[in-house]
Amino acid sequence: MAELTYRVALNQAMTEEMERDDRVFLMGEEVAQYDGAYKVSQGMLKQFGERRIIDAPISEEGFAGIGIGAAMVGLRPIIEFMTFSFSLVAIDQIVNNAANMRYMSGGQFAVPIVFRGSSGMAGCLAATHSHRPEAWYAQIPGLTVLMPSTPADAKGLLKAAIRSDDPVIFIEHEVLYGDKGEVPDGEHVVPIGKADVKRAGGDVTLITYSRSLKATLAAAEKLAADEGIDAEVIDLRSIRPLDLDTLLASILKTHRAVIVEEDWPYCGLGAGIADRINQRIFDELDAPIRRVASKDAPIPYNRRMEASMLPNVDRVVAAVKDVCYR
Amino acid sequence: MPIEVTMPKLSPTMESGVLAQWMVKVGDVVKEGDTLADVETDKATMPMLSYDDGVVAHLDVAAGEAVALGQRVLVLAKKGEDAQAVASTLGKSAAKAAPAAAASAAPASNGQDAHAAPAVSAVAASGRVRSSPLARKVASNAGVDIAQVPGSGPNGRVVRADVEAFAQRGAAAAPSKPAAAAAVSAPRAGQRIPHTTMRKTIARRMLEAKATAPEIHVTVDIRVDELVAVRERLNKQLAAEKIKLSVGDFVTKAVAVALRKHPGVNASYEPDAIVLHGDVNVGIAVALDGGLIVPVLRNADQLGLRDIRVQSETLYDAARKMRLTPEQMMGGTFTISNLGMFGVRQFDAILNLPEVAILAVGAAERRPIVVGDALVPATMMSVTLTADHRAVDGALAAEFLRTLKGLLEEPASMLL
Repeated sequence: MAELTYRVALNQAMTEEMERDDRVFLMGEEVAQYDGAYKVSQGMLKQFGERRIIDAPISEEGFAGIGIGAAMVGLRPIIEFMTFSFSLVAIDQIVNNAANMRYMSGGQFAVPIVFRGSSGMAGCLAATHSHRPEAWYAQIPGLTVLMPSTPADAKGLLKAAIRSDDPVIFIEHEVLYGDKGEVPDGEHVVPIGKADVKRAGGDVTLITYSRSLKATLAAAEKLAADEGIDAEVIDLRSIRPLDLDTLLASILKTHRAVIVEEDWPYCGLGAGIADRINQRIFDELDAPIRRVASKDAPIPYNRRMEASMLPNVDRVVAAVKDVCYR
Repeated sequence: MPIEVTMPKLSPTMESGVLAQWMVKVGDVVKEGDTLADVETDKATMPMLSYDDGVVAHLDVAAGEAVALGQRVLVLAKKGEDAQAVASTLGKSAAKAAPAAAASAAPASNGQDAHAAPAVSAVAASGRVRSSPLARKVASNAGVDIAQVPGSGPNGRVVRADVEAFAQRGAAAAPSKPAAAAAVSAPRAGQRIPHTTMRKTIARRMLEAKATAPEIHVTVDIRVDELVAVRERLNKQLAAEKIKLSVGDFVTKAVAVALRKHPGVNASYEPDAIVLHGDVNVGIAVALDGGLIVPVLRNADQLGLRDIRVQSETLYDAARKMRLTPEQMMGGTFTISNLGMFGVRQFDAILNLPEVAILAVGAAERRPIVVGDALVPATMMSVTLTADHRAVDGALAAEFLRTLKGLLEEPASMLL
């Protein structure tokens, strides 16, 4: 197994899929000449040329739409948003066209496209550039939403996304690009719709994804050491479709759950997940499902204030103690 | 999801309704708008209509029973649901919701402490028990009345650990706690103890009995010297088996035999008929912390003294641990309440409706009696039958007691 950064794992996924399938191309701001704003597409212009690695002007709605049109007529575009905060100007294309085209055309047009890019609170980017768009897109029937937290999942899920015949919102996290991790050699595709139990435990189920996995795992170790609470940590990986079976199996064992998300609390992703759990196994819960989300406010520029918004180890530990009645 | 039909508000002022008559039975197919039952409200008798289609899976209350607003009265299985499966999962909780409760407290023969401080319960001012869903499930499986469980969670919420600890404590609480200690540690200030479900049930049923049944009380004194001697001889024989018959066991046996002879006392009163029961199922009131419960000794007339002792002990034990199954609490045809172990000479019990009679048993004690013209010391016991005069006249009550007296004064006659 090779140890790769999250960034390189993504690069490998796109490169391998472009080598495998001539219909795949990459388009976005700075993806070609500049090798990508976050260097995810490093070297790809050199390998694949201008026909398949395409710099777009600052016109997200335009190049998102071009991608959707290309997908409708048989290509398999990867559209990079420099950050998903900028996808807001393209949300009409994504929601109304990409997500609904198969349905509105009575199945005549599929849209095999991947929208990918960074997201999240990444340090002094302030309110307009720190968005976590998972709940916005996860609500839309017709979209697949994936959020890898490790290099292995970044590679395996992106390959699965590119091979999907339906539009995929592939949300990376800016602070994860430099993270290193082991990635299986050879063909490595992670199935869509499967969560991953990152730490087994019997006392409480911690449900998380993307960057929040780190704080959650650290909290789990602290809980084990300080409180004797053995937490099971589940990385969702796939936000939509949700792997509810894995969540339910865990909670049937632990009878309590905490959802850790960088999303906002009100109508956030965790609210929808908690609802699904309540509907299915209400009688198995010994405590209300708690959520550790970001604070309900615009994301501040100030570094310390921004840090106070994030789910962190202390907040996760407090929520776990709460549901464990400690 | 099956539909749990509750007592509707049929008049603006009603707080509960008497389910006068069921118009459906288990297995019936009902349609929206069908009449499920006639309900007597505080104003009139009204039809209770179904708002759904379905199959009647379970009836929670018997005709004649008063039901609080919002309390479940029946369960409908919806289309595609198995009515029997629905009844087996949902029927149980209903049976538990209406625990039997008898008249006066009667601790078991080994003297369960009746003075321990009542548990702080999670019952909210509204009467609702705050509890986690899992705690309710665990309590239901363990036969624990969750209203009795002190809650340790936020706002007194009962959580799983509380139910498990409660069940465990019940198991360990057999030796009685010293009442004096409780009295010393009790706060001098007054206390407001919200009603538990059990307390509410006792209050409702006692009031119902006093309000609806014209009762008579008939007392006899019974000389039990021979019974005491027989008990001593038998207990020597049974010592090897670690079985010790109590005077109460003899009373249970004699009552069962007497009931077989007087079926009019082994009966229920219903608005249109007196129901004479085929089986003789004797309920024995057991005192609990903050309440009492009446487990039922089935077919007591067919049991020997040894079986009466062994089965009673099992029931008392389950009762104290709050682990009685619905079957162990239902189907009683007569109730015994015994305060003899407190040295009580004589008392009156309140009827356990719809049963028509209940026996209050006092202590066996040495008293002077007149035999011929001589004053002699004897071991005497007074028992009082409370009877519902709607069903049992004074003469029948007296005849029953004469039979009972004969059996207890000459225990060998129970063999006849």
